[in-house]
Parts: sequence; C-alpha cells; structure tokens
Amino acid sequence: MSFPKFRGRVRNAAALLLVAGVSLMAQGRGGGAPAGPPPTPKAAAPFDPTGYWVALVTEDWRYRMASAPKGDVVGVPISPDGKKLAEAWDPAKDEAAGEQCKAYGVGGVMRLPTRLHITWQDDNTLKIETDMGKQTRLLRFNGAQGQGGDWQGVSVANWERSIPVMGPGRGAVPPGGSLKVVTTKMKAGYLRRNGVPYSANAVVTEYFDKMEHPNGDSLLVVATEVVDPANLNTPFWTSTHFKKQKDASGWNPTDCSAR
Amino acid sequence: MESDGLFGPIDKDAERNPMKLTFKKTILAALLITGAVVYTTKSTITPEAVAQDAPAPAPAVDLTGYWTPPMHEDALERGGGSELGDYAGFALNEAGRLWALSYDPSRVTLKHHQCDAYVSPYQMRATGNFHIWEERDEHYHRLVAIHVWGQTTEGHRVIYMDGRPHPPAWAPHSFRGFSTGKFVGNVLVVETTHMKQGWLRRNGTPQSDQATMVDYFVRHGDHLTNVTVVTDPVFLSEPEVRSNDYYRNIADHRAWLYACDDGEQILDRPADKVPHYLFGQQPFGSEFEKVYKLPLISGKSGAESVYPEFMAKMKTATDAQGLALLKPEPGKRNETSKAVDPNPNDGQIHVLPIRNNVYLLVGDGSNIVVQTGDQGAFVVNSGAGKLTDKVIETINKLSPAPIQFVANTGFQADLTGGNAKLYHAGRDPSLVGSFFSNQNPTAGSTATMISHQNTQNYLIDLKTPSDALPTDTFLEDRRRKFHNDDSIEMFWEPKSVTDGEAIVVFRRADVIVTGDIFNTTMYPVIDLKHGGSVQGEIIALNDVLNRTVYEHEEDGGTMVVPGHGYLSNEHEVLEYRDMVVIVRDRVRDMIAKGATLDQVKAARVTADYDTRYGQNSGPWTTDMFVEAVYNSLKAAK
Repeated sequence: MSFPKFRGRVRNAAALLLVAGVSLMAQGRGGGAPAGPPPTPKAAAPFDPTGYWVALVTEDWRYRMASAPKGDVVGVPISPDGKKLAEAWDPAKDEAAGEQCKAYGVGGVMRLPTRLHITWQDDNTLKIETDMGKQTRLLRFNGAQGQGGDWQGVSVANWERSIPVMGPGRGAVPPGGSLKVVTTKMKAGYLRRNGVPYSANAVVTEYFDKMEHPNGDSLLVVATEVVDPANLNTPFWTSTHFKKQKDASGWNPTDCSAR
Repeated sequence: MESDGLFGPIDKDAERNPMKLTFKKTILAALLITGAVVYTTKSTITPEAVAQDAPAPAPAVDLTGYWTPPMHEDALERGGGSELGDYAGFALNEAGRLWALSYDPSRVTLKHHQCDAYVSPYQMRATGNFHIWEERDEHYHRLVAIHVWGQTTEGHRVIYMDGRPHPPAWAPHSFRGFSTGKFVGNVLVVETTHMKQGWLRRNGTPQSDQATMVDYFVRHGDHLTNVTVVTDPVFLSEPEVRSNDYYRNIADHRAWLYACDDGEQILDRPADKVPHYLFGQQPFGSEFEKVYKLPLISGKSGAESVYPEFMAKMKTATDAQGLALLKPEPGKRNETSKAVDPNPNDGQIHVLPIRNNVYLLVGDGSNIVVQTGDQGAFVVNSGAGKLTDKVIETINKLSPAPIQFVANTGFQADLTGGNAKLYHAGRDPSLVGSFFSNQNPTAGSTATMISHQNTQNYLIDLKTPSDALPTDTFLEDRRRKFHNDDSIEMFWEPKSVTDGEAIVVFRRADVIVTGDIFNTTMYPVIDLKHGGSVQGEIIALNDVLNRTVYEHEEDGGTMVVPGHGYLSNEHEVLEYRDMVVIVRDRVRDMIAKGATLDQVKAARVTADYDTRYGQNSGPWTTDMFVEAVYNSLKAAK
C-alpha cells in the first residue's frame, strides 16, 4: 500500500521543522527577543464574552418568570433544613429587613429573566451587570479580592483550556476554552424567587461557554453548580442561556423585588 | 527504490507498511516529538484524509462514559409530565400552538403511537441515563462517530465525525435524525437533520419532521452540558434553545426499559378514531394558568414568553386575550407550507436504494419504484414523463433485464406520464410464444402495464393513447405476482383519493408503494369526480398501517414510498392519517351544526397543518382540500 501524498506531507512537515529548528537555534545563539510577560486575562480570552445578552427563558419558566407558590421546591435537591426555610419564606419580612434582593444574589441572579451587560472593568476583571435588580458581579482573574458579605460575594475567575494534545508545555494549545468562576463569601440568598434558600457558606461554581449558531446568533451558556450542605442534599445544577444582542435594546434597569 | 528527496530513498517495505518505522523515519519521528505545531496539527490526519486534502480536525474532547441528568431543571415536565396547555417558553407559532391544543394525550393509546420514540432534542432532555462511546476505525484510530445512547426509548443517536454529508431531502427520517459533528475548540458542535415528527415537550408541544437541530456538548470535568437549538419552520417562529446537564456516573446503568411492543389498550375503538380536541374545546387548555394563578396568556404566547419583557405584558393581559389564543385567529389568510421541497429539481434522476432489490427513483415529478432481478424490472409508476428517457437509462443500469411490468397506483398525470415510453422500452418474455403471439405477433415486445380497472377507465376517459394504458387490470381486492424472488401484491384502495387507487406491496423487501394515498408534501388530493372520498382515504391509510411493522420504537421497519415526498416509515403515514381524521372531524362537527362551506373555510379548520401541507395557489390548495372533505362528508350523509 502506498500513500504518496501522505509521504509528501511528511516530507514537507519535516522540512518545516528543520527550518523552524534552525530558526529557534539562531534565536538562542543570538539572544533574540526576551520572552514577554504573560498576556493579561483580557488578552488571553479564548472568546469574547462582552456585550449585551438577553436571557432566553425556556426552562423552569414558572419559577423564573413568575413567583412560584411558597414551598414549591420541585427539582431542587433541598435538605430538610432547606425545606423548612423555603416553607417559611415571607416576602414582606424580607422587604421589612431591606433584603428584597435575596433572589438577586449570585446563587440566583443568572437564572432571572434579565439582560446582562458584560464588560472588562480592567485587564483582570470582568464585570457583569444585570438590568433586573441592578446587580453587579466582578469576576477577578488575579485572585480573590474583597471581603465579600454582599449579594454577589467574591468571584475568582480563570480561563479553563484544554491541555495541548502532546501534554503540558508541548504542542499547540487547542483552541477554545471556558470561563470558570468560583464564588464564595456571599450573603445568604434564594436559588429561586419563592424563597428556596442557599446559605452564606455556599460555593457557586460556574462555567461560561460561548457558542455560535450557523444563523449568526451567539449564545452564552452558564452551567452552574451550587454546593450548600446546609440547604441542599446534593449539588444543585442548572444551565442558563443568553443570546447576544447587537446593542442595549431592551435594557431596563429595575429594582429588586421580593415578590 | 525511489527518492523521497529530503531523506533519500524510501524503504519499499516501509512504504507497503506505513506503520513500520525505518531509521530515517525514527529520526523524523524524534524531530516531530520535539513538539512542533506542524506535527501536532498534521499528526492526527490519516493518509486518507491527507489524500482528500481534508482540513486538520480539532482535537477531540473525551465525552465517553455514563452520564446521568440531575433533573434539577423542568423536573415536573421531565418526570411526571407537565400540564396540558403549558407551552410557556416555547416559541410556538400559531400552527404549533393549535396543534398542541388539539392534542389529546389519549392519542398514545393508539396502537401505532404507543411506541413513539423521542426526537433527539427531547431525548437529550428526557429522564434516564446516557451512555456515550466512540467508534474509531481499526487501522488509523480515526474518530468515525460518537454514539449517544439514552435509556428512555432506547434512543441511539449516532454523530458522524468523519465528514460525511447529510442524506438528500428524499431520504428517510428517524426519531434521532442524521447527525454530523465537529469539534470547535472544546465544544462538540452537532448538526441534525431528517428527524421524524415528535415532541418538544411531552404534553403535545410539537416538533415537525422539518425541524433541524444544532446542539453543543461541552465537558467540564465530570459535568457535561448539552445545549440544543431547534429550528422548526413549521411550528416555531424562532429557534428554541434549551440546555441540559449531566454528571459522570462510573457505573454502567444498563437498560432501564425494554424494546416497546404495542398492544390493545382500548378495545372496540373504531379504526378511524384519533383522540383530539376540536379547536377551542380543549378542556384543560387553561389549566396551567389557573392552577398557578397566572394570566391566561402565559402558556400560549409563543416567542414573546421567552423574553424578559413578557413579565410586564403578563401584568396587563386580560382573560379575553388569553382565551383568544385557544382558537385560530379569525379572518387570517391560510398559512402555506414551510417544508423543504424533497424534489431535487435538477433535471436528473436520483437513485436511493430502499431494501434488497428495490430502489427509489426521484426527479421526475413523483416517486418511481423499481424492483430488479433476472426476470426483468418491475416498475411502479412512471413519473410525470418529463425525464422518462433518463428514467429508462437509470433502470437499465440497475436491472440486468428489461422492464417487464409497469404498475400504476392511480391515473394521476404525474404518476403515469412516462407510461408510453416505459411500455415501449420494456419487454415481457412471458408472452412470447404464448397464444397471445398467435393473435398479435408483437406480443411480449413491450412491457405489460398493470392497474386497477378503474384507473384504466379514468385514463380512457381522458383519451389517453393506447400505449400509455394499463391493459392488465384487476377488478377486486388484490392482484399478486411472485417476481424476482419476491411476492408482490397490489391492493385496491377503493374510494380513497380516487376509486382506482392501489398500493403495491413488496413482501420480502418489506416495501409499500402508496401512490397518492399518502404524500409528505401536500394534503391528499381527494378527487371526488373520480370516486374519491375522505372516509375512503382514511380507510386506505389505515390499510397501509395495518401492513407495516416498525423495527424499533416506531422507527424503521417497513419502508413506505409516498406518491410525492421523502421515503417514509409507518410513523409518517400515521401522522398523515391523524391529520386527515382530525380535519374530517372538525368539518363534520361544523356540518352537524349547519355550517356552510364558506363558514367551514373561514374557520380555518386546517390551521395547525397549513405550515406543513398548505398551499394558497397551484393545483391543490388548502381550500380545495377543505372543500373536498366538506363535499365528501355531505355526499355521504
């Protein structure tokens, strides 16, 4: 069996390698340009998450577009203690306590029927603003900053990429990647607007992926895991999708509402 | 020895066995392993791919293993089942909404519906575990396909990764459809076409057979996310996006259910009974909103309900607005078909092997079927007659012997247009030397043409030339032949679209040719002037269904060739039968209430099917179909 074209490609590849090798050696001997600093997270982004995005509420519609009845925790792996809290939900009490934003915290805000405005605050910080509830999340790539204790907590971000096919440090890094965000130190809040709780000790892990549809639509998909032993028997998983908008159309900032 | 230039002579033995490394190639390999980009991109290319100048594939992400959906989203819908009338978050257009409102869950008690599988988008969202594995070729370990097997309905989805094209528009559909994939970065992107009609949600929210899907798989450790984007020009006004999560499960979950067998669930039900609700009479149409104290528009507003602005609209919506959505919009012009034209329209005849020695020929206006063998070709229908020379050329390539028989399922011009040419191109050796030869020296020098007697009568009425007339006719229920190692039967389907219709059954090949009794392109052309009737059409469709067997979960099995449209199975016939029954019931109900034909037309009794089959111009419009049903029912009273 013969593969003349294949053989030809191997020859060409080897030739390129030799040229590349000579070139590399020449750089080493002559000193060449010194290696620069690693690119900033903004520069290293495998995809562009910025812009205006609108939630497509095609799942858990009743829980997201309306407020479900008290105690309706269908689908949530709620613990007995969590169930007690859900059944004790009292929006008037939240309002009186100035906690009408409990459903707009990091454990629930991405699930709301909201628009997102995502920008780079600086080279190391991605900012997500919501029009529903006027929340701001800061995703920091250079380590945890801040004390937390607010609705959005402290979010540590990383670009998660595949390792090269031939192992770390060898070969090309495969294209693409995901944004991984781990959030802690938040105020206790609600997974759903009807008072399904998470505690201040919860850990929220999110993966952001951007997907391009052949029709030109861009989708941002956020897969979320909430771990909260106080209120959940197992991690709570959702994935929420947003469609890219051309501009700020429909951006309608509204205050938090406990109801 | 020949020179390979850079590295000198090639070892011929190594050339014969490319996996054998010579010294020089060892050096080459060592160089390559230093980690150059060129190798990492080229090394995954097989010789075949290089030979085809295929682009370098992106590295595959391992999706294999056992995966379990946590069911934290839409748990009610995916578990017990959602409420009837809850279509909130689905971008249903009017046809989709009305189709869903007409749906009665009792329909799954019908024998042929009992084993309906899930279409791919719903399969990915269904309860039950998944097993994903790779199929690689044995020589180069190239990724050929990724298999996704869902426990519920034992849904086996094959995602081809080897760059093969999608089948043509006239190829069969399946519940899982035909999928091809490629890795884009760390995401597997899959395109799926050729799905059967099924559910987007188990409460009757429909997905048509014209839907396509792009879905995305992305893995984060032991967390797999699948995003489905369904585009359905028939029932959706914009793509429907949903996302599903799965966690890795180290245990083989094996099967959960078992291959479904249908059986009798409701005895003595008439064969022409299809459970459904008349427009506006769905008793549970507003149940969802009432139970959850939502405005009546909540579950029926289509694409609007997907976006945040809908929250504001709900606050001001009235009950009247919600109730109006339970019926067709009055005064609206009929919608027209959004289906893909299954005809190639390229002036060529295309061949699609069906099974054994039976082939589908597409391109000349209607479907032509050819059975081949050393006895001579048996042809069913002859097309519109515009490309008959190419039809004959194609048959001659397929068949080692000339055309012996041409059967007509009906007299329609686009089924019999090529009769004369096929007649002259054929030969019937069974007649040569028989007593026919004594009476006619040319006997046997042409094909023998078969049809029901009424079809011959209709053609004679049209002053059809004698060489285009079927002369071997039958009068009662069946004509049969054992030909080319198969049992071929023609069954008369009286008073269906005409009173001369017949279906042709190839028993061993398990292929049924329906003629215009069944189409995937338009409403049935019920020709009252030639003895057609809506009731006879329903009986004929049920007769086809009585002869079909599915292979697995209502998929595959008996192949059904429509007069026009894509190669089908019983499920397509079933949905078509349901449609005819449902439209008949609506018209019959209005007749019983004294409605005139104009009132029936104005009521838009086909509103949920028009985006699939409707036409407002051309030889067979929606109004003509409704009129035929109306007059057929009036005549039967």
